[in-house]
Amino acid sequence: MKRWKQATAATLALLGTWWAWAVWNAPLDSVQGVIQKILYVHPPLAFAAYAGFIGTALAGALFLARGEERLDRFAAASAEVGVVFCTLMLVTGPIWAKGTWGKWWTWDPRLTVTLLLYLTYVAYLLLRGFTEGSERAARFAAVYGILGAALIPLNYYAIELFGSRALHPDNLQRGSLGEGMGLPFLLGVLATLAAFAFLLVRRFELGELRALRAERLAHAALREDA
Amino acid sequence: MSAFWAVLWKDLAIEWRSRDRFAAMAVFAALVVLVLYFAAPPSLDAAQNGHVPGLLWVAYLFAGVLGMNRAFAAELENDALSALALAPVDRGFLFLGKAAASFLILLVVQALAAVLFALAFSLNLWPVAPQLAAVAALGALGISCAGTLLAAIAVRTRYREVMLPLLLLPLLVPVLLGAVRATTALLTIGSLPWPAVQLLIVADGVYAIVSFLCFEYVLDE
Amino acid sequence: MNGAALRATGLAKRFGPLAALAPLDLELAPGETLAVLGPNGAGKSTLLRLLAGLMRPSAGAVEVSFPGAAHRGQAPINGASRQQRRAAVGLVAHSTFLTAQLTARENLVFAARLYGVPQPEARAAELIAAHELTAIAGRRAGELSRGMAQRVAIARALVHEPALLLLDEPFTGLDPRAAEKLAERLAAGRGSERACVLVTHELARAVQLATRAFVLVRGRARALDAGALASAAVLEAAYRAAVTALEQAP
Repeated sequence: MKRWKQATAATLALLGTWWAWAVWNAPLDSVQGVIQKILYVHPPLAFAAYAGFIGTALAGALFLARGEERLDRFAAASAEVGVVFCTLMLVTGPIWAKGTWGKWWTWDPRLTVTLLLYLTYVAYLLLRGFTEGSERAARFAAVYGILGAALIPLNYYAIELFGSRALHPDNLQRGSLGEGMGLPFLLGVLATLAAFAFLLVRRFELGELRALRAERLAHAALREDA
Repeated sequence: MSAFWAVLWKDLAIEWRSRDRFAAMAVFAALVVLVLYFAAPPSLDAAQNGHVPGLLWVAYLFAGVLGMNRAFAAELENDALSALALAPVDRGFLFLGKAAASFLILLVVQALAAVLFALAFSLNLWPVAPQLAAVAALGALGISCAGTLLAAIAVRTRYREVMLPLLLLPLLVPVLLGAVRATTALLTIGSLPWPAVQLLIVADGVYAIVSFLCFEYVLDE
Repeated sequence: MNGAALRATGLAKRFGPLAALAPLDLELAPGETLAVLGPNGAGKSTLLRLLAGLMRPSAGAVEVSFPGAAHRGQAPINGASRQQRRAAVGLVAHSTFLTAQLTARENLVFAARLYGVPQPEARAAELIAAHELTAIAGRRAGELSRGMAQRVAIARALVHEPALLLLDEPFTGLDPRAAEKLAERLAAGRGSERACVLVTHELARAVQLATRAFVLVRGRARALDAGALASAAVLEAAYRAAVTALEQAP
């Protein structure tokens, strides 16, 4: 297990370094200048943030179906790691916006939906924290996670219909990235998703260890009583 | 299905006897309208009043959230919630019964609030009253469905009064968007925009289906 | 099911550090009353809630078999799903499960509707007569004394004529006269096909009402033999022995 962790950490470090080098060497965008390089950071963070919530919702749904505590611990881990990436995304977004469009915030569809996702994440974590009884908290959180995830496409649809004009660059087609930007972008996505997965696994293990410790403490307390 | 009618009847009967949920919601809606009038007064120039229809929905939303909380607060007495959990029925029908009761009560509050709102903001709602009622009903449906599911959850957490708006409001944005868009169009050009209504219907459908299926797990101990 | 009213196999409940209930096998025949004894926090309420279908077990299965009464429109129940089981089970707990703003009669009608009992009003009238609730039938449940409310709660638990009646410390908070009346009613029900699980602290009641007993400590069960129910003194000795044995087990 330790060797596996070391291998992952090493790979992550290599990937991250290669990516940073690629970003440093990437050509400057003719219009946006150096601020455009947030492109290599911001969308990958977005992928991770959404992956986090979808992971939470799926694990929650499986937990409701099967009742295995492990699934609930995974859902909690995914939410906690996901909210970190979502926060980073909401921080880098305005930085980029200020640099290119001159405003810190606009109610552009993608920004708005991400903000809603963030609020849903926070509500999910508060719900977990404020419910008494760990099984009840697990069940309630799972239901909320499912509802929240169902809202993601619905929110997109809603805001696309009625949000203000999209200022957000719509760059989902291949080849729309300029010459020399493809590699850093790809590396950015890989590195961020790898970082997400790595943190998720560590956080999940932490949850497992906590559960194990709680069990041992409880058993020890019992033995003292007897 | 008899469970659906039983729950619906029970909630409405209780409400009819004490009317406390309705009174609280109605007074609260009136107060919100008052506050909004002072906080965001309509300007004499009609072109500046594009935001006014949205204010009506602020009142509806907050009154709705208040009502949802009270729907389950009563069930905590004597652990009546467990009585529902013990019933040998698909719990989705219990959900529908409670949501339907909340929906009907909210409709009445909405009508009242609309009258007060029209008075305060000098609007003439009569020409579009049927369409406005339809939009209000679609919005109320969404609030009731999502609200019933989340109220059943929130009522068994710490800080239950705060928990419900926290959980519910981020999820009601699609309803708010569609409803405000539809209401604005009604009040400015007098006709109902199909995309907004479509959004409301789709959102209501999502809430209703997810809540129906998940209520099973919410009622477990 | 060879005539058994209830069979639980490997029924267990755990979430988090400790098991609320260790895997338990239980079989109950129609007409039997099982007393479940044990210190606080032993898992007795958990067991009842699992049997009632209110809680999902972590492991194991519960089957209830009930021939049903065709003339009352009740289908036979032979099932393992929680929803089916709830149709054959009635629960009386410390809370009365009554809606405070409805009258006693309305509460019974509501319960009848929830359980799909045909002609709910007639059934409610039947129960009011049978349980001597006529004087309070028109009073709101929130205004009833604890003893009267408990009587309504018991009538409510029986509205669908369950095959299995679960009682979670039903004598708590009752004055001696009310408690005696309740015990009489439960004893009278013994001739019927109904199986009963009674959780109680009061050993005298267990002796009076039960045909079998077991002890739960920290989620683990140990059956007491039939002779233990001979008298309160005998039961107490057997109980203490069982508790000590269970506490010392690893």
